[in-house]
Amino acid sequence: MQNDFEPVALVGASDQDISLLDILDHVLNAGVIVHGSLVLSLAGVDLVYVGLNVVLTSVETALRTLRAEEKKRELS
Amino acid sequence: MTKVLAYCAFLNRPGISLPEHGLGGASLYEIAQNELRVLWSEVEWPFDSSVLQRYAVEFHKVVSHMFSHGAVVPFRLLSVFDHKQALTDFVFAHHADFSEDLKRLQNLVQMECVLYFKPQAPIDSSGTDYLHRKAELLRGSEAFVAEVRKVLSTLSHGLRTRESKNGSRIFVLVERGNEHKFHSIVQNLPVPERLSRRLSGPWPAAEFLSEAVKVPNMVGQK
Repeated sequence: MQNDFEPVALVGASDQDISLLDILDHVLNAGVIVHGSLVLSLAGVDLVYVGLNVVLTSVETALRTLRAEEKKRELS
Repeated sequence: MTKVLAYCAFLNRPGISLPEHGLGGASLYEIAQNELRVLWSEVEWPFDSSVLQRYAVEFHKVVSHMFSHGAVVPFRLLSVFDHKQALTDFVFAHHADFSEDLKRLQNLVQMECVLYFKPQAPIDSSGTDYLHRKAELLRGSEAFVAEVRKVLSTLSHGLRTRESKNGSRIFVLVERGNEHKFHSIVQNLPVPERLSRRLSGPWPAAEFLSEAVKVPNMVGQK
């Protein structure tokens, strides 16, 4: 089984080692968050399903977003 | 069920080559709105958990390929649209914000320094001792972040930090071509006792996207 910190060969990567953990972190947690009507069923990955609109993200990021939205609602 | 997976947005320029294929060998397509392009492919949804790691690497390769040409706004791997029209509507609604961010970040890349607490063997001590040790680690972490900010003042075009229970993450925006300077400067900084650092990059400047791009209001979605 591949270790989380084992470097993987990547096209276009820098000469620094990039671990699978780095990749998973970036492709799941960095970038545009799209809300849509989606279905999610991935075992072993902490993802969030919110009603008809889904926020696909890690729990950590989702909590941050939800807290920010709550704050916004409180202020308005 | 087939869905539409968006990889990244970028500004059209002459000489840009697209990757050969997307996830699972899928053909890649572009949606264009003025100078903005969004790369996408069809995917079978939902993903099987057994392919997630492979898909993550393939997704990263596509985004990295485009990032090697210039700035990109990455989408998240698990963000999919119901159909092509939904993505087209999304691009039409948000192209101005995306283009603005891409122009602002055109020649910049994101470098990262993860500062984390070294795992310690459990010590049989009081809760007060534990809190003292924790406070000491936090002070060390804050001092390191302050030092990074200071030594990178001329190199950095932006610096953000994010705290976690295991340490801090420092995101630094530097000009493309200055990645090695970042590495050598930060690598040479002494790390406080019981802390470790890990450097990575260059990455697309996702941490420095505007809120309008990072969390856009959806259109064309039910």
